[in-house]
Amino acid sequence: MIARYVGRRLAQAAFVLWLAVTLAFVAMQLTPGDPAQALLAASGATEQEIAERRAQLGLDAPLPLQYVRYIRRLAQADLGQSWLHSRPVGQMILEQLPATAELAVSAILVGTALGMALGILAALRRSSWLDTAATAVAVLGLSAPTYWSGLLAILLFSLQLGWFPAAGEGDLRHLLLPSLVLGFALAGSIARLVRARVLEVMEEPFVQAARARGLAPWRVFLVHVLRPALPTALTIVALQFGFLLGGAVITESVFARRGLGKLAVEAIIWRDLPVVRGVIVFGALAYVLVNLAADLAQAWLAPRLREELA
Amino acid sequence: MKRLIPILVLLSVLIAGCCDPLPPLTPTSTSEPFPSSDFTPTPIRLVYGLTLAPSGIDPHVNASSELGIPLTSMYDTLVYLDPNTGDFVPGLAEDWDVSENELVYTFYLREGVTFHDGTSFDAEAVRFNLDRITSPDLASQKASFMLGPYERVEVVDDYTVRIYLSEPFAPLIDSFSQVYLGMASPAAVEKWGSDYQLHQVGTGPFVFAEYIPQDHLLLRRNPDYAWGPEIYQHDAALADEIEFRFFVDPATRSPALETGEVDIMGEIPPQDAGRLAESDDFRIEAVPIPGVSLMFFLNTTRPPLDDVKVRQALLFATDRQAIVSTIFRDTSPVAYGPLAANTFGYESEVQDYYAYNPTQAASLLDEAGWKDTDGDGIRDKDGEPLILDMTLMGWGYMPEVGQLLAAQWSTLGIEVNSPPPVSYPEALEIAGEGRYHLIPFNLSGSDPDILRKFFHSQASFNWSKLDDAELDTWLEAAVRTSDWEEREALYSQIQLRVMTQALVLPIRDYVNLNGVNDHVQGLRFDAQGWFPWLIDVTASEIQ
Repeated sequence: MIARYVGRRLAQAAFVLWLAVTLAFVAMQLTPGDPAQALLAASGATEQEIAERRAQLGLDAPLPLQYVRYIRRLAQADLGQSWLHSRPVGQMILEQLPATAELAVSAILVGTALGMALGILAALRRSSWLDTAATAVAVLGLSAPTYWSGLLAILLFSLQLGWFPAAGEGDLRHLLLPSLVLGFALAGSIARLVRARVLEVMEEPFVQAARARGLAPWRVFLVHVLRPALPTALTIVALQFGFLLGGAVITESVFARRGLGKLAVEAIIWRDLPVVRGVIVFGALAYVLVNLAADLAQAWLAPRLREELA
Repeated sequence: MKRLIPILVLLSVLIAGCCDPLPPLTPTSTSEPFPSSDFTPTPIRLVYGLTLAPSGIDPHVNASSELGIPLTSMYDTLVYLDPNTGDFVPGLAEDWDVSENELVYTFYLREGVTFHDGTSFDAEAVRFNLDRITSPDLASQKASFMLGPYERVEVVDDYTVRIYLSEPFAPLIDSFSQVYLGMASPAAVEKWGSDYQLHQVGTGPFVFAEYIPQDHLLLRRNPDYAWGPEIYQHDAALADEIEFRFFVDPATRSPALETGEVDIMGEIPPQDAGRLAESDDFRIEAVPIPGVSLMFFLNTTRPPLDDVKVRQALLFATDRQAIVSTIFRDTSPVAYGPLAANTFGYESEVQDYYAYNPTQAASLLDEAGWKDTDGDGIRDKDGEPLILDMTLMGWGYMPEVGQLLAAQWSTLGIEVNSPPPVSYPEALEIAGEGRYHLIPFNLSGSDPDILRKFFHSQASFNWSKLDDAELDTWLEAAVRTSDWEEREALYSQIQLRVMTQALVLPIRDYVNLNGVNDHVQGLRFDAQGWFPWLIDVTASEIQ
């Protein structure tokens, strides 16, 4: 029965991927600006030379034909060549992936730890000032845009205090500030959901029963409250992690780090369609796979769900 | 206690290992003599801040000026342009001549030049480079267009190469002085294929040591360099290593310089320049960039700008000095014509045109029939209010300039309608369709033929929407003749025509504000203004 579940999820994943890929194709076609002109206009190319380049890039074919060619190449795992760099798109993505993955993993660790801590604290001390404070911090993280919190963090921790470098990459010190900033933004949504779910679970009869049986409070909490609450946390963490793998554009820009986000932004500005589509396909793939893994992990964590599948 | 000491030693080694390495010890004369008799000087290492993570850094493929900043010192070119005299001096080509009909250029190449990978530079290498640049597979975005009406290249002998054009093209030698036509090692290009931009090999004073896209680029001194042009002040590079890092956000540039993260930083915003210039530890090296100044193109096919009086009124109504003072903090000179003042062929007479004169502007508008008949503060004519559509792009302070212009013109009863700033490709599309009255742009270039890109009726940047046959003839004649005096006379006429017809509203000449740590010496820039000659750069004390 697990096989049926997995099969169904894979089919859903494929559909989501196809949708993302098609939307990527359509969206870029709708943005104004001609890629061939953007690349060549300032170099003194004549109108004819620009038209020739446009034909070379396949842009003068009718839209449905362009789409078919695009899908056919994707099926062969051919992401094509960047129009701006004349290099294979797949390779460019792989080059930027480690930096993005590094930031994604550390931000998720920070965000999850902070978010869980805040959420649990708020739930356990519900309606006290701690609850209010923790929720306020969570909402601040949710609402503060990263370009604002990022620049503030640089001003305070880099320029004033000199604890961390302002930008760039290299070692842990360079990673810490961006991870904190991004993690803080993620922690907000995690905290609120965890708080709500923990409160919900605490009302369940089996929790009362466990307490009545005389189990130690910490054991009641860990086994009977936290474990049922984990699937919710896992869902949102997976959502965010999948999203981060597509590139945290703003954080990357503020901290002068490289990554998929930067790659995508540059490609969008220059109408480098193969790269934009490649990054979207990759991001969608990462997102879908991470969420699939999370769903399967949930099935293991929550026995009731396993029974539902049987 | 005995166990403690090794533990402390271990701890301190670990701590030292995870932090920034200590600066290298400088030898002092009072210390013990060194074991070896050779004195090893401390390596000179500099960090140079670039502003954009270059979108691709293969000079044969890509068009950004950012890539030229490191690569001008990694490649050599056939000729070099002396920014002070305007003359072309020998580089990899010791000499060259041009046929009578100006269709054949013969270059006599220097012998004994080797690429960084040990292979020899010869005529065959030049042929390989030109074939690569012009091949459709490479999809060059700039280099191949700099060759103009190029037809083919011919290897005459080992050190003589001949280039054939289908029409005379005066800017050809200037093109060969730029990094986009720098000479790459054929062996390296063949070896690396589409990955060549990550492993570039030239003949210059620096070697391409390492490039991590969007992270950093490392140049290392070429110890074998011995064939620099006479405009280089040293035979080989003084610095041992130069690392380039990228700072896209303008707000991060000055802090990076001030915290010592970089030694040199280009494109410092005007508001930070004053502070750096006054500081004892830093200085600003302001480099004017030749080419087309920041200016607004007036769409001459869209009323009311089809009336030359209205266009002239706009120019008289603009207080350009105020714009330069407010937005650019006087770091740029005011522009009076389409060419920047330090471009060869600049006609200085344009400085007498259109001094700020709101009274004159008002009377011109009255003469053209635009008066405020209904008392709403905006002039009108035949029931139509004087509203101008101004397209703006998001860079180069264009939005700020647009805002100030709108404020200045509103006192004369002109209203400006300005949608949110657009990106470059979108601006190109809007410009192509002519959906504007005013649109700004600026472009750098050392040859005045750059004017043809903007003022020829068939040009891709004909944003004034001109169809002036006489102007076309002058522009075409000026690109065909290599006689400098003839060219100068033609460009003078062209610039004056542009201004008498008020086809553009010039604002300022572009100036690249480089922030430099005071311990850096020898920084000089080439004739393009953007590209430093890194061979002469050094640091006076090691930080």
